[in-house]
Parts: sequence; structure tokens; C-alpha cells
Amino acid sequence: MAQQFPYTYYACCINASSSASLVQKRSSHTTTADEEDEDRTFDPRSPRANYSLYPLEHLLYCDDCQQIRCPRCYTEEIVAWYCPSCLFDVPNTQVRTEGNRCQRNCYNCPICTSPLQVNPLEHSSHLAPESSNGASYFLGCPYCNWSSLDIGVEFAKHTGITAQLAKLKTARQSQAKKEREERAENTDSNDNNALNERPTRDDLFSNLKSFYKDALSSANPVNPLSFDPTLYNSPPSVTRLMNLYAPPSVKRAKAAKPTPMREAHSTSEGLLPLSPVDEDMSIARMAQAGWDSLSSTAQRSQQQHPTTKFVQDLWPAQTRLLTRRAKRCATCRHILTKPDSKISSTRYRIRILALDKVPRLSIRALSALHTPHPSFPISVSSTAATAPRFEYENLRPGVMVQFLLTLHNPLFEPIRVTLGTPAVTPGKLASRVTVLCPQFEVGANTDVWDEALNSSTTLSSKGKMQPGDGPVQAEAGKVWERGRNWTSVVVEIVPGFPGGAPTGIVPRTAEEEEELDEEDTVVEVPVFVRFEYEYEHPDAAVFEKMREEEGARVKEVPEMGRQTREVAFWTVLGVGRVAGR
Amino acid sequence: MSPDLESITDTGNKISRRAQITGTANITLGGKTVIQSDVVLRGDLHRLPQRKEDGTMERTPTAISIGRYTVISSGCVLRPPGRNSGGTWRYYGMKVGDNVFVGPNTILSSASISSHVHIGASCTLGDFSIINSNVKILPGTVVPALMVVPPGVVLGGQPARVVGELGEGWGGGGNGVGGGEEAWTEGGELRELVRAIR
Ligand SMILES: [Zn+2]
Ligand SMILES: [Zn+2]
Ligand SMILES: [Zn+2]
Ligand SMILES: [Zn+2]
Repeated sequence: MAQQFPYTYYACCINASSSASLVQKRSSHTTTADEEDEDRTFDPRSPRANYSLYPLEHLLYCDDCQQIRCPRCYTEEIVAWYCPSCLFDVPNTQVRTEGNRCQRNCYNCPICTSPLQVNPLEHSSHLAPESSNGASYFLGCPYCNWSSLDIGVEFAKHTGITAQLAKLKTARQSQAKKEREERAENTDSNDNNALNERPTRDDLFSNLKSFYKDALSSANPVNPLSFDPTLYNSPPSVTRLMNLYAPPSVKRAKAAKPTPMREAHSTSEGLLPLSPVDEDMSIARMAQAGWDSLSSTAQRSQQQHPTTKFVQDLWPAQTRLLTRRAKRCATCRHILTKPDSKISSTRYRIRILALDKVPRLSIRALSALHTPHPSFPISVSSTAATAPRFEYENLRPGVMVQFLLTLHNPLFEPIRVTLGTPAVTPGKLASRVTVLCPQFEVGANTDVWDEALNSSTTLSSKGKMQPGDGPVQAEAGKVWERGRNWTSVVVEIVPGFPGGAPTGIVPRTAEEEEELDEEDTVVEVPVFVRFEYEYEHPDAAVFEKMREEEGARVKEVPEMGRQTREVAFWTVLGVGRVAGR
Repeated sequence: MSPDLESITDTGNKISRRAQITGTANITLGGKTVIQSDVVLRGDLHRLPQRKEDGTMERTPTAISIGRYTVISSGCVLRPPGRNSGGTWRYYGMKVGDNVFVGPNTILSSASISSHVHIGASCTLGDFSIINSNVKILPGTVVPALMVVPPGVVLGGQPARVVGELGEGWGGGGNGVGGGEEAWTEGGELRELVRAIR
């Protein structure tokens, strides 16, 4: 993994199978986290963890469920389609009829995928005035210099490339067909007739499509592959829908065995029989043009017909459309983000981010004051350039390292945080972890000026720090440093020995060496974060007014007023890699 | 301040004395912008001034314009885009927005780079490429000439292609100052980074 140390990932949907029930339990107002969930230490090395760890900025938050939401627990709805190249907002109706490709002049290079440009054909001499020649444009790749002239394609106009290309393609296909027929006549083969009937690939596709359509509709009137909405009006489809929602036992009894369908038999039904003539042609061409004339797998996958064998036959690919999507909580269906439908706008109509709702954890080595941010690989000041850098990639097994874990509070209320870590990290590299102060408060995210005014009073023990000089004396049970809306605590980590045993005592066998892969040298610490805060119920004021107006009729609603809310989640801190193998 | 470090202009731009800037008059900096050492700014490659209606020549057009809180890291080259037009080679202006971070040793010839763009180290952005706002370009990416990059995507590869989408929270979370952690994030406000650079 290319991720640079140190990093923090947030876990969501750890236990996918039971997450739905978990969510429901939590959302039913009592905010206590599921006990079972807490007892089990989250193991970042488990194969499942790959699918539940995210950087904080990728996560959303559902206010109703009071939970972090990840791609596995939100659903997506397409708000708009657009072309990434011409930034045109493509209407939904057009996408339905024309498919997810830009219908304007956007094409990608069949060789390297770079966007192609329409260029005027520059005549080598001034003899031909531009108006005299009809074809005077071509598609060119600014990256690999591929040109549509390489495959003999020129355009008369610089607009309407799609229509011009389609015309050229049809012309070319009929030309190819003719050539094949001529060749077939010359060859002494007995299936001349079949070859003469050989349709183009596009014909073949439409033949096959209509064959399946007919077969499906005749086999069972209500076919599962059809999405025709008019079918939902018919009684059989209603029965089918009922079957879908019926309990499994009922469903199994009712579901009839599908009648096996016949496959396509002839070219008129869309079958492409193996043709010795075509194969001979291909082989002859390969022998003549060599390896370089063959298209790569990646290039073929870009093509409309993925069987395109030769570079010479690769066709410019229409640019694929991208989408902007709204996201909904999968549990309560509340909308979590909704972007503006216009591509020109980067605004969101609704956007509830996890980073605005849960504290941000960041970790770094205590001795490394000036390690550059992984995303900003620059030296910020001259002192930073010369200061010793902490080598996260080079942790020594068995040697304790002090890290500073900082929590930033995005909320407008102060939070009480409890951190939980396993004493020994799970996995082969068993590292020992001690959080010196697992319970502390983090101030509210109030005005920045408050901090500036109170800067003299912020508790700071920075003076003790001597970068590069062995471990500092950090007191257990006390926070290291505290600011407006952040608190730092010291975490002591003793990286384990790769392979489990200290090298000096038990010599490792070659077999054991092999068992260790690179991932086993990474020190990752699972941290359970639980925080609580008091908040004013947003409806409290409204309720108060109601009570005044209606008097005794509305008596008491205990949920109003100040409440305590508790939120809990797992995170994984990647603190470095053990060296020396 | 040591001699090879930045000189600070009236508008708060921090420009390294070891930057190679030509055609200074044709370069505009929005203020609070950082130009690190060994950066090459080719302000001399500008569009040719046109003759105005009254017969006088217009002022020399701006070759490079850079917004506020933008950081151009050491070793970058900003060379305005140019092309052959009617038999002569012509240059056109280059515009860089606010809060743009350009990693070390990147070569820029874009027509425009919008705000909140994070460009990794050792990239090449071809002539007349257009980078829309909120884009992350991975280190080592080669953006072909004339490519248009839509907003909100991650770009990577040689040639560049859209390899992913940015999270909704991209650029956020940089509000906490202190605690030994930097207050700047990819795609976020770079005010604090600019302040920290000395
Ligand atoms: Zn989830
Ligand atoms: Zn397009
Ligand atoms: Zn190409
Ligand atoms: Zn929800």
C-alpha cells in the first residue's frame, strides 16, 4: 500500500452481517453502543477490514441514526450525468436512449486513452486552397501522437464527429464484407454460402438481441430480464412481485423451474460461426505485421467490440460519462449529501460530513516536530529542513516510541472522550500499546479568537520536549497539551518483532521468514473512540413556547432540554513499519 | 532571514531569492502566495500586444497570473502555453487560482488551474490543459495537452485519466490549529501553510 505514515482510518460497518440490527438498536434513542461490538477488538488485519476502513473525509454522518455512514451503509442516486471532457450536462432521457457515452465531439485515443483533439489538416503546400478539399480535419492524440489518419479517417467538418464516424464505419464494414466475399470466392471452400451471408458486427448484435427478446417473451411471458414498466400492469407480473416479497419458504414452493431456452443457431439469429477464412486472414496478417500490430487487453476493453485484434482496427472511443450522485442513509433513508445538478457548480445542497460530527484523530511521533505532511512534501522552514526527521518506515522492534495522539473536536460543545486500545495489537506483529491518558476532555469548537485571547492560559508542557533526546517524561493520566478544540495525549508503542520472537533468542527458520509478508511489518493500532457531550435539543425552544401557549395540556416531555449524547466508533492508526528484515 | 530564503513583497507574497523569474512585469501574484527556490516563472513568454483601434499598442498582456494562498514548491517550472498559429508560434496566458498547491518539480503549461487544486510532485501538465476546481492530481501524473479535467476527481497516470472521485469532505477538517498538527489539508485553505513557510 502506498499510504504514507502516519495515517488514521475510521472503521464503519465492521460487522456487516449484523450492522443493520446494530443501527436499529442505536437509533432507538438509547445511545449506548452495542456491548458485543465493544468487547470484540477490531482487527485491522482481518480480510474484512479492507472493506470497512476509510479516511475521515470520505465518510458521511446520519444525524437521525447518530452514526458514521460509509459506502456500505448509504445508497446512491444519480443526480446528473455529465461528460468529463466537454463538461456538458447530459439529460437523463438522452442517457437512456444513447447510452453513457458523450454524443458530442469527445473521443479518447484508442491507443493511450488521452482525450483526442480535432485538428485541421495542414496541407504541405500552399497549392491547395482550404476550400477546395472537402476532408480537412482529423482526430489527433496530443499524448502519443496517434492520429485518425493512421486508420485512414478524415473529416469534412470539425463538428458532428460522431455522425461522420458512424458513416465512415458503415462504409468500411460493407467494404470489408465485400473483400471477404471476394476472398471466399477464390478459396476453394464449400461453405461459400454461409460466408456470403456474413453480416457486420452491428447487424449480428441486433440479430442476437431480437433473437433473445423473442425467445424470452415466448418462453415465459413475464421474463425476469425485461424492465419494461408496462409489464407491471399485467396480472402475471403482480404474482411475480408478490413472490419476490413473500417469505422464502412460500417463494421456493411457488417458483416454477424455468424452461430451458434454445441458443442462437444461425447468423440470422446472431450466431457468429467460426470462419476458417477469417482466421486464415488474421493469421496471415499477424505473421506479416508482427507482435506490435496486435492490440493490448486494455485497448480492447475500450473498444465497442472487444475482439478487435489489430491496432489498425482500433476505433476512437467515445468518452464515457460521469455522474454526480446523492447519498442516502440505508437505514433511515434520510438524505446525507446532495450535490448541485449542474457540473459547473461544486456546491452541495445538503452535505452532512463525518468530519463535522466526530473528532478527528491524528498521530505523529512525539520527537518529530517538523515531519512534512505527506501531502505537502516541502520543507516549511529552514529549521525544519535541518531538524532530525522521524523515520516512520524504520521502527526498531522492542524499542519504545512515544507518539502524540491529537483529537480535534468539530462540535460546538465540549466532548468527553474515552479511548480504548488492546494492550497488544492483533496480528503477527504483536506491538504493545499504552495510552497514557485514555480519558480526557476536548474543548468546544468555538470562535478562533477565543484561543488567541486565551493563548497565555493554555496548558502547555512543550518546554519539556527535546527533539531527538530519548523518551521524555510523560505523566500517566495527564494530557500532554491542550488547545481551544484539541487535546493531545501521549501513546507509548513498543513495536513487536516480525515473526513473533526476538531474533536473538529463537532463530527464525526460512519457512517462518517466508510466511511474513510486507503487511506484517506495519504497526497498526486499533483505537476505540467513545465520546459524549451535552446538547440542547433543537426543538426545546419550540416546545417551551408550545407549553406556554397551551398550558397544562402539554405536560412533560423528558427528552427535551439538555441531553447527553454518546457516539462510539473504531479507528486504526498506522504509526509506521518495523525495519530490519 | 538568510539570503537564499524568501523575500516578502508588499502584498505578502513570499518569493525565494533563488527563484528564476523572467518578465516580472508580466506576472501577477494575488498576495500571500509562495514561490519557493529554483522555481522558474517564464513571464517573458506572453501573448504579443495587439494594436488598439486608436492605433496605439496595448499594454503587454499578463503571461502568468497566480491567485492568493497558492504555493509553488521548489523546482517547478511555469511556462505559459503556446502553439503554432498561422505559421508563427504564439503564447497565451496562464491562470492559477487560489489555494492551489503545486508539488516539487512539476512542470505547468496549463491554460488555467482553478482554486483548491492539489498537484503532486513531478507532474507534467501539458499546454492548454484546464484543471477545474477541487481536483487532486497524484504525483508523477502527465496531463496531455488540451485535456479538460472536471471538478471533484482524482487524476493519475501517464497519460492522465480519472482514477477516482474525491470524498465529499475533501478539503475540510483543517480548522484545528495546534496540537503539533498542521492546520492545512489537501484542497483546503492554505493560509496557515503560507504563514508557516519561512
Ligand atoms: Zn458503514
Ligand atoms: Zn463530451
Ligand atoms: Zn494517444
Ligand atoms: Zn440514518
